[in-house]
Amino acid sequence: MKKGYVLSRLLRSLISLLIIIVIVFILLFTLIPRDNIFFDDPTFRKLGGKPDEKTNYIYTTWEKLGYLDYVTISDYCVALYGQADPRVEAAIEPGSVESVQFREEYEKNGYTVAEFTNKKLYAFKDIPIAKRLLTWFGNLIQIDTPWAVQDPNNPDLERYIKFGTTPTGGLALIGSGTVHKYLIYTDSIFPFIHQNIITLNLGKSYPTFQGFEVLDVIFQSQGEEVKREVTFETGYTAESAIIFGTLTYKYNPDVMDRNKFVDNYANYQTRKNQPSMVGTSFIMGIIAMVLSYLVGLPMGVAMAKNKDKLVDKLGMIYIIFIIAVPSLAYIYLFRYIGTALFALPSVFTVYGSGDIRSWILPAISLALPSISGLMLWMRRYVVDQMNSDYVKFAKAKGLNKNEIFSKHIFKNAIIPIAHGIPTSLAVCITGAIITEAVYSVGGMGKMLPDSINKYNNSMIVALVFMFAGISVLAVFIGDIILTKVDPRISLSEKAGRS
Amino acid sequence: MAEKNIILSAKDIEVKFRVRKNYLTAIRNVSLDLYEGETFAIVGESGSGKSVFTKTFTGMLESNGRVTNGSIMFHDVDLVQLKSDKDWEGIRGAKISTVFQDPMTSLNPIKTIGSQIVEVIEKHQKISKQEAKEQAISMMARVGIPNAADRFDEYPFQYSGGMRQRIVIAIALSCHPEILICDEPTTALDVTIQAQIIKLIKDLQKELGFTTIYITHDLGVVAKVADRVGVMYGGQIIEYGTVEEIFYDPKHPYTWALLSSLPQLGVKGEDLYYINGTPPSLFNRIIGDSFAPRNPHALKIDFAKEPPFFRVSDTHYAKTWLLDPRAPSLEKPEVIQDLHEKIEKMTGKGGAFYVDEQ
Repeated sequence: MKKGYVLSRLLRSLISLLIIIVIVFILLFTLIPRDNIFFDDPTFRKLGGKPDEKTNYIYTTWEKLGYLDYVTISDYCVALYGQADPRVEAAIEPGSVESVQFREEYEKNGYTVAEFTNKKLYAFKDIPIAKRLLTWFGNLIQIDTPWAVQDPNNPDLERYIKFGTTPTGGLALIGSGTVHKYLIYTDSIFPFIHQNIITLNLGKSYPTFQGFEVLDVIFQSQGEEVKREVTFETGYTAESAIIFGTLTYKYNPDVMDRNKFVDNYANYQTRKNQPSMVGTSFIMGIIAMVLSYLVGLPMGVAMAKNKDKLVDKLGMIYIIFIIAVPSLAYIYLFRYIGTALFALPSVFTVYGSGDIRSWILPAISLALPSISGLMLWMRRYVVDQMNSDYVKFAKAKGLNKNEIFSKHIFKNAIIPIAHGIPTSLAVCITGAIITEAVYSVGGMGKMLPDSINKYNNSMIVALVFMFAGISVLAVFIGDIILTKVDPRISLSEKAGRS
Repeated sequence: MAEKNIILSAKDIEVKFRVRKNYLTAIRNVSLDLYEGETFAIVGESGSGKSVFTKTFTGMLESNGRVTNGSIMFHDVDLVQLKSDKDWEGIRGAKISTVFQDPMTSLNPIKTIGSQIVEVIEKHQKISKQEAKEQAISMMARVGIPNAADRFDEYPFQYSGGMRQRIVIAIALSCHPEILICDEPTTALDVTIQAQIIKLIKDLQKELGFTTIYITHDLGVVAKVADRVGVMYGGQIIEYGTVEEIFYDPKHPYTWALLSSLPQLGVKGEDLYYINGTPPSLFNRIIGDSFAPRNPHALKIDFAKEPPFFRVSDTHYAKTWLLDPRAPSLEKPEVIQDLHEKIEKMTGKGGAFYVDEQ
């Protein structure tokens, strides 16, 4: 395998990812009427009787989500005279000199100027889709530096990076002037070493999970906070679920923050008792995947070895059952068996993620279809290999059945299966919509359909970006595995070069 | 030919296959004595049972096939009685080896050439890994692989077809078998490589002294390599004798027809000779001489009663009623009259089947 190939392959992966994002972005933000995003916003519904506030809310939200640029006469006058200037009061009134000026100036710049019901002015201008895309990609990768925070209220903010420890005793690279206080830190939570230097910014979630970064929504732990006795840097002791490593700069710290923290780094995430959505789906997916490989492959082999005999026929019945019966039906059937005969919880939330019993039924339900798929393919590959000439020759060489199987057939039959392993791993992250719904598992499965239903467009873009990126990567890793297990295959840019 | 020891003796072998609830008889009461060190060629058209017959020597019949009658004595063992892989241990691949038709698919594509040779050496000989490797490399060199040690760790796809067939031969011979069955070893190779492979097998046979069974359609090859020839038709050997006897004094009408079909005997501008009709269906019970329906010289009795073997000479027997004293005397077809010179021309210097003997 050539280094050049890997690089060009990665480049091509990135380009395809880019194309996917561009297409989804354009579809979402040009074809879906932007009024739709308010359908499921409770705040918006409460504003029903107040037309001006409603209008203001709509435009503020659109501006926040990047649809347009929005200015009211108040913003204009405050900018003109300053926050507390007495002239502002008069200037924002309809018909004032400033109002005329405002209209002229913004209309000249291509804005649409309109009036609230009280005749006060506001102006807005759509941001072109290309510019929005550029902004999205421009903000995608955030690199934290000591110059990242520019706070006019805190001109004396020190700017440095140094080594130190977190209050819980982990080693850390501490920054000041950076967005994150702990750029790199260690603690007792998987994966033990964490970094905040390079972070992805995929936008804010709206209208569901309002005010959260979309990545935080799917990656932060869920459930109830796990509080414990914590001593802050100021010596203040309290029950708190704080994760110190997640401290970020807060522009307006309040009194409580001053009690706890010696500096402006006062925003933090909390530790909760349930894994994140991605985590939940991934754990469940991994259990299901391991289970399906452990069961599916030996079953497929057994079917191939006993082709047309009882084992093969029973296996076929199972495969056809899984293919023919709707998944919802057999999941419910299986859940009934599990709850009635083995006293397992019928929903995940009964015991929560901490109890192994919660995982058994969902994981097995998830494994059922993949087992049937693996059985079918493994059977087919083994049968293929069993009929090949080199197996006949191996027999003529005097090898016995077991030797032929372990030295020849199995390795050859496993090649196409091995290629698919990274992809099945990646699929775990996307979650399982039906299984998670049936067992009330708080995983990723519902995220994409929910986001589509509720017009959470930034979430959709983020999920598409994540899923597409992981899939492209998984196929690539699969190809690399293929070169390791099959000497005939080498990754090179042109056929024939090795 | 001097009197030699019989190394393998098949008696009245009958093989049946179960196909979709029917039984077909692929081999019908075939007997054969194989002499030590000789090269015995089995010729016949496709479906005549050549491969199936020799597969019984190594227990390589497909799972739906069974030897239903007869015995195959190899030393003091009746090979027909061997059933499991364990029974065959020490014989299949060790004392009786096979080289198959297609070298492109006979080797496992994802294992190194070396490991595939070492595998069989380790299986049959109790020696260390290092010794096995040395033996494998020397075997590779012996079958004509240049830089054998360097090519030990290469994969089959890095070898050409001819090279792969050399490796297949190396594997088959690595445990110094007493009998080598070559099941159309050159059919999948181009003509120049064919000649090299044939010469290689011949040379190795001289050197190692094994007995060879050659299965082939190619009468040119037979003429060059064989000591004795058996002609198979419809699951039976219908004539056997020394190569000279079969080529220059054939007695069975099928052998005549087969020899007449040699494309090299064709005359430019005329149609090539071919045998009318198709081989008999093995599902049906064959009455009389199986070749009778296609035989222009068929006698009445050919349709009613199976002919016995008639002795032509000590070494030459043919299964045809034409040799019965009561039968009308028939001469072999004109086209194969002076076959001797024609064959000489074909296998001599400059001929299509010339094998360089140096």
